[in-house]
Amino acid sequence: MTPADTTRRSSPPAAVVEAGDPALVVRGLRKSFSGRTVLDHLDLHLASGEFLALLGANGCGKSTALRCIVGLETPDAGTVTVHGHRLGAARGTEPAHLRRQTAMVFQQVHLVRRRSALDNVCAGALGRLPLRRSLAPILFPRALRQEAMACLERVGMADRAAEPAGRLSGGQQQRVAIARALCQRAKIILADEPVSALDPAAAEQVIGLLAGLAHERGLAVAAVLHQPQLALRHADRVVGLLHGRAVLDAAAATLTATDFEALYAPDHRPAEQEPR
Amino acid sequence: MSTGTLSPQIPPAPPRRRLISPAAGAVTAVVVAAHALAWHATEFSPAALVQGWRGMADFLGQALPPDLSWQQVLLPSLRAALITLAIGLLGTTLSVPPALGLALLAARTTAPNRWVYQAARSILSFLRAVPDVVFALIFVTAVGLGPFAGVLALILHNTGVMGKLWAEAMEEIDLGPRDALRVGGASGIQIAAHAVLPAVVPQFVGLLLYRFDVNVRSSLVLGLVGAGGIGFLVNQSIKLFRFDEMVTHLVVVMALVVAVDQLSAYVRRRIGA
Ligand SMILES: Nc1ncnc2c1ncn2[C@@H]1O[C@H](COP(=O)(O)OP(=O)(O)OP(=O)(O)O)[C@@H](O)[C@H]1O
Ligand SMILES: [Mg+2]
Repeated sequence: MTPADTTRRSSPPAAVVEAGDPALVVRGLRKSFSGRTVLDHLDLHLASGEFLALLGANGCGKSTALRCIVGLETPDAGTVTVHGHRLGAARGTEPAHLRRQTAMVFQQVHLVRRRSALDNVCAGALGRLPLRRSLAPILFPRALRQEAMACLERVGMADRAAEPAGRLSGGQQQRVAIARALCQRAKIILADEPVSALDPAAAEQVIGLLAGLAHERGLAVAAVLHQPQLALRHADRVVGLLHGRAVLDAAAATLTATDFEALYAPDHRPAEQEPR
Repeated sequence: MSTGTLSPQIPPAPPRRRLISPAAGAVTAVVVAAHALAWHATEFSPAALVQGWRGMADFLGQALPPDLSWQQVLLPSLRAALITLAIGLLGTTLSVPPALGLALLAARTTAPNRWVYQAARSILSFLRAVPDVVFALIFVTAVGLGPFAGVLALILHNTGVMGKLWAEAMEEIDLGPRDALRVGGASGIQIAAHAVLPAVVPQFVGLLLYRFDVNVRSSLVLGLVGAGGIGFLVNQSIKLFRFDEMVTHLVVVMALVVAVDQLSAYVRRRIGA
């Protein structure tokens, strides 16, 4: 079963990656913080060429799941497999190029505000640069600058390449952050609320861009969204998280707004366990 | 599970505010006692100050008017002031590389591991704890009287101060860009170069200018212990009871300190640090 096949596609996929290939498989991911279970045996899979929307209430573990997958958190249990290669639990225990296949895009974009958009995009390639070519932007190879320009072009930001990232609008910064992920040559892009800080038009543009990367370039893209409508319009498949488990997993075309109610029902919210 | 529902209960009363908590009372008592002891230990005595007014008057009589003769006093004074400035300048700039290196190792965001972090912190604490005058006294015995000893002393002490402040600045940055680059496979050094340092450049430059200002003033004191510059001249004129010369030197010192302070403040304003 390849969910990507069940959905509309605006243009034929480019032959970058074969569509339908399981790019990312997550099995039994568990994570707790000081005794509180946040991820409870989470299973997730993501195919190349597929755009997956990840939905769920605040605190259900979406960010933690993505951070565990990319190795910013160490999961307590479970496996992450990227293109058939299993990653170690902690960073640095597997070949670096495996980790680099996954890029992450954040709600707060996390660009270096004082550096130009172009330098920020180039920084996505640091993992494959030798140290002596990577200690300052001035040392970046010419080919890398050209590649970064192409990535900016892809997200429609080539004309602002020289501008300090901090001076761009939120939507523009988010597109630069996506260009950085492209310059990383990632096959899998995980976006954590990429549009939560954007106005509806900019959000539409950024989500359309992410969907396009999946459908045209064959990348595997997953985005955490808080707007079911946006997910229904653009995503191929929707996964709903509740208390750290995937409780909904269906092709977007088969879903309606009511399917999401259970995800956000107040009864299902975990009791706040903040110490007084 | 669902305990968060609202119920029509009387809300719990807010905690009462006490005028003085026992803890605040105890702290006040300790602070007052410490001041009383310190008064006693330093033999603080306004009476002695009043009784010594005649000595003061004598001193002022000898010191004024200042000796402004160009060849004997003013020219050497200005030359020595330039040396003081040079000591402050080199003492600041040459401490940048060691301070930067140690700061990167002593910031939790960039330290390779806990042991290196602790070691770098200890080195910085040591350098900061030993006053530059003490370093100057040590170096004067090692490399002889003169400005070079002063530069060496400033480098060591200033490395400790700047290293600590820079490390703290690097610990306060937003860790997001670091995470983003780490996901892309960047190494620790690359992350320092592309996510940490760019974020702290304004603080770095601001602190650097501020330390330059401080170091020029410190190098005056270093001169008093033989490490060259105008402080050395001040010391000499006191030893020779030439208080009128001393006042000239002090006026030059004041002009130097004000000029450096203004310059450093101006540049800091311009870069918004
Ligand atoms: N580093 C951490 N230390 C302790 N608790 C954490 C940490 N990171 C996340 N948590 C907790 O894990 C739970 C899930 O957090 P997470 O950020 O994954 O939720 P989320 O689904 O992304 O929520 P949101 O929609 O608000 O972004 C929360 O209760 C949070 O407090
Ligand atoms: Mg989140």
